Amino acid sequence: MNIDLSRRGFMKLAGAGVATTSLGAMGFHEAEAAEAAHVRDFKLATTTETRNICTYCSVACGIILYSKGDLAAGEKAELLHIEGDADHPTNRGTLCPKGAALKSYVRAETRLTRPRYRAPGADKFQDISWDEALDKIARAVKDDRDANLIERNAEGVPVNRLTTTGFLAASATTNETAWATWKVVRSLGIVGFDNQARV
Amino acid sequence: MTKDIQPDPSMPDPSMIGGVPQAPLVFLPDPVRVFDTRAKRFAFLAETSRLGPYLSFLAALTELQARLAAEDPAPGGPSAEQIARAKAAKMPPLDRAALADDPALIRLLDRFCDEAAKLEMPEPARLALKAVIAADEGDRRWLLTNVLSDTIPEDSAAPHLFASAAVQVHLARLAATLNAKDLQPIRTGLCPCCGGRPTSSLVTGTPGIENVRYASCMSCATLWNEVRIHCLACGTNKGISYRSAETTEATVKAECCQECHSWVKIFYQVKNPSLDAVADDVGSIGLDMMMKETDLKRAGFNPYLAGY
Repeated sequence: MNIDLSRRGFMKLAGAGVATTSLGAMGFHEAEAAEAAHVRDFKLATTTETRNICTYCSVACGIILYSKGDLAAGEKAELLHIEGDADHPTNRGTLCPKGAALKSYVRAETRLTRPRYRAPGADKFQDISWDEALDKIARAVKDDRDANLIERNAEGVPVNRLTTTGFLAASATTNETAWATWKVVRSLGIVGFDNQARV
Repeated sequence: MTKDIQPDPSMPDPSMIGGVPQAPLVFLPDPVRVFDTRAKRFAFLAETSRLGPYLSFLAALTELQARLAAEDPAPGGPSAEQIARAKAAKMPPLDRAALADDPALIRLLDRFCDEAAKLEMPEPARLALKAVIAADEGDRRWLLTNVLSDTIPEDSAAPHLFASAAVQVHLARLAATLNAKDLQPIRTGLCPCCGGRPTSSLVTGTPGIENVRYASCMSCATLWNEVRIHCLACGTNKGISYRSAETTEATVKAECCQECHSWVKIFYQVKNPSLDAVADDVGSIGLDMMMKETDLKRAGFNPYLAGY
């Protein structure tokens, strides 16, 4: 700490010159020591606040997720609370009833976290791999399209509509993802379709 | 004849739907009210805190700030020309650097110190106050320049505490003369009125703009809007975490930045509307003591907590 030499007289008068806290310099050492003793055994708890987009619909409201534990420090995070992001221009902190219930959705024991399959006639689901699941979906879409694609309408005009398959895509996506989704789904002729690009 | 429909208080109010207001950039201070509320909060905190004697002293000092803000002749604000120039240059309209030579501020400092001398305080504090009263022009200018540039030399916190308290009154009254529509965001973590650093930030519970964050200027008591989950010291939104004593449910947390290794206190007024940016900052010194043990440094500016 460099002290301007011309300040010496003032510093002496003010009883200053030793680096200390405001409390020490003002003569409140005892209070400061009592508080320090009180917090000595306390531990710091870490919360993380994370911005995200509600995944429910294409309005794409901003949300803040509060979790316990510091992911950056290698800890495991546990979701505590979700609220509307007050800084987000779309929703200014508000959420619809579905968005307001997001935490129950995230933490639900019945939440689907991996592909599962219920075979025809079976009474329960079984786990399958992503490869198997995607193959099954592709097969089903192909079979349905081969059987039900409407190539021409009553007037004989080419329309290439597939009305028997629907597609619902997520909202928390980038512009590019929305564009790619649109191209893939529309190129199959699917008309029952919703994703972020709608709004 | 149509019958008047009486609102049913048990039903949701349909006029609230779609009426979510845009949060204003700033809340300019009402100096008397700011210091009065703060003094009461200091006094309330003093009742139960181990820091009681210090908080009681600050309650009395803040009460004096409120009294001077009410009684002293109000300073004239910046000229229309200065406001326009600041706006064009994206600068804050209050030029703090120029205030060190402002005769109105120097008069206020004199008056403040004379009045403060009537308060009860420990001997070291009285010694420092006497030195400020007796200080010559050069020393006084040194004190004011430090305070006006948000720097408290670590070996002379006590005299600066008194100088800062006087500066707060002057700047809050100057800020009160401004018009919110003349102000614009300067940079993350800088007051749009005076360019000062925040002491802490508040997640507000004000109806309509709940959960919006306002940073609180230590110097001029302006509250300005800052986007949540951003470091108020460096402006990044990367690697921000919140630390609190013992529980994650705390209403005061340290907003920690791994980019610039600093932290600023954040108060959740939405959970407790009584929280005050300055009084509770001192009242929650325990968190500062715990954070001092980490590798992060405090970035919130508070001359009542120098050394943390």
